[in-house]
Amino acid sequence: MFYRESGDFKKTYRDDSQTFPIKFDRRRYYVVMAIAFLVLPWFITDYIANAVMIPFLVWAIAALGLNILVGYCGQLSLGTGGFMAVGAYATYKLMTSFPGMDMFSVVLLSGFITAFVGMIFGLPSLRIKGFYLAVATLAAQFFLVWLLNKVPWFYNYSASGQITAPERSMFGIIITGPYASPVTGYLFCLILAIGLAWVARNLTRGRLGRSWMAIRDMDIAAEIIGVNPLMAKLSAFAVSSFFVGVAGSLFFSVYLGAAEVTEAFSINVSFAVLFMVIIGGLGSIFGSFVGAAFMVLMPVLLKNILVGGLGWPTDLAAHLEFIIVGALIVIFLIVEPHGLAQMARVLKEKLRLWPFPH
Amino acid sequence: MSIQNTTADQQGQPEVLLDLKNISLSFGGVKAITDISFDIYEGEVRAIIGPNGAGKSSMLNVINGFYHPQEGEIWFDGKQRTGMKPYEIAYQGIARTFQNIALFKGMSVLDNLMTGRFTHMNKNLFWQALWKGPAEQEEIINREFVEHIIDFLEIQAIRKTPVGRLPYGLQKRVELGRALAAQPKLLLLDEPMAGMNVEEKEDMCRFILDVNDTFGTTIALIEHDMGVVMDISDRVVVLDYGRKIGDGDPTAVRNDQTVIDAYLGVSH
Repeated sequence: MFYRESGDFKKTYRDDSQTFPIKFDRRRYYVVMAIAFLVLPWFITDYIANAVMIPFLVWAIAALGLNILVGYCGQLSLGTGGFMAVGAYATYKLMTSFPGMDMFSVVLLSGFITAFVGMIFGLPSLRIKGFYLAVATLAAQFFLVWLLNKVPWFYNYSASGQITAPERSMFGIIITGPYASPVTGYLFCLILAIGLAWVARNLTRGRLGRSWMAIRDMDIAAEIIGVNPLMAKLSAFAVSSFFVGVAGSLFFSVYLGAAEVTEAFSINVSFAVLFMVIIGGLGSIFGSFVGAAFMVLMPVLLKNILVGGLGWPTDLAAHLEFIIVGALIVIFLIVEPHGLAQMARVLKEKLRLWPFPH
Repeated sequence: MSIQNTTADQQGQPEVLLDLKNISLSFGGVKAITDISFDIYEGEVRAIIGPNGAGKSSMLNVINGFYHPQEGEIWFDGKQRTGMKPYEIAYQGIARTFQNIALFKGMSVLDNLMTGRFTHMNKNLFWQALWKGPAEQEEIINREFVEHIIDFLEIQAIRKTPVGRLPYGLQKRVELGRALAAQPKLLLLDEPMAGMNVEEKEDMCRFILDVNDTFGTTIALIEHDMGVVMDISDRVVVLDYGRKIGDGDPTAVRNDQTVIDAYLGVSH
């Protein structure tokens, strides 16, 4: 009824190209923002912030980054874990080398460092495509993790080989370290996630985004039209790695607090992020968030239902959790191979006509 | 047939936009093109015809830089060019369509055409990430131009449809639109009417002539429909087995004995 575009005429091209062209969507977006910023921080418990919201936001940023590379530019990558590790270690080195630096700059700088590393590992994409590129990026995953584990300088020669986030604050508010409140961590991640989603949206709707999608859909035609494949692919790798680096940085400093590279940033991380992107929807910013939500929230939800609600033993619940999540992934992919974002799109199409489909 | 031709005649000496001199192209031992020379005048419709495997598409690929000929010179717009990449040639003002449609399937019609404007946009990553300001400004200016193309090709209604969903004839039209959006000096069309019914062909002919008339774009086209070729082109070059066997205005080519032999075959 109110989900209508009829009667809502766009008079300028600016209006026509806005992110949420339908009024209802726009309002819903503002409501979600208001809840996330103004309501949740007051009601959120430490458990929800730590176990649900922070990981959700961090993974969403990582999924967003990988979606730019895989979904928009069509370059398959399995190096996400390695790039997240680069972000995390860059953060650690920056935090310990420049104690006065504020957290915001640390995170963004880590992103830029990762972008640089990502560009170097993106170079093979000029020659190899598809699955072969995936294997080449797999090399990045193993090499980066090996390097960060092997060279003690990266973890400041600590005996355990672990990196631990020292206490850092911004405007007098503690963001990292053992005394940081989960709510500030949540808000810090939220601001970054929303800012980066906005940047991703801007990049993908503009000239650069179109050049990525052109390369994805038909690289020969893209070149004929004036897209330099080198620039398009490397910029996609750079932007994608920036996002992934920021995610790695937050994952280590705000969420984990301490990390060991072979454990926290293994190949499983790469696969998990890739699943998020595929389940959420390739080439969709909204899909990245949904995919991350699915992969993060579903296990938590199942655990709460099985252990908390039904009182089953934890180990049984943990195994069932794997089975159910795995089955759900398969079912989702069969029902809608283009991901949850496509489901939302179909729903929207239906809603436009509802309740009179003819 | 077009107005441009008569104006060129009035001026006496027509301007040469593209000049190909003694082009030879081979893949290993296979000679695709042997010693072909021809030129394209500013503002004309130039057809390239020939039986299958004559080297027509290879010729287009040479012109827009996909293939680099082993021998010969290419002069475009008064400058000789050597070893350029296809995307650099796009910046020089050559656009093309493909024999089998090469649209960006996952994008809407509008986005496809906007991608055609790529060479006319130059805001860097920083401004694009910010969006508000110069990037948006640039986007709107180019959107305005693209809307003219949309009006011209009469595809207003499908502006936001993903191109994968469109029927074949419309996809061909969108592809023409994408090439036009680049405002090329030289437009290469590889079989623009292949697989179309009579009505769609007539539409396409109208668009090609209109493009030539209103934008003054020089057009080089490959086509198998002889009726179409004879009707819309100013000059025709005929290839067979990688060699040039005929060149001239449509009537001269039609009556050329070698050309007739190549098409109909001769008894040995």
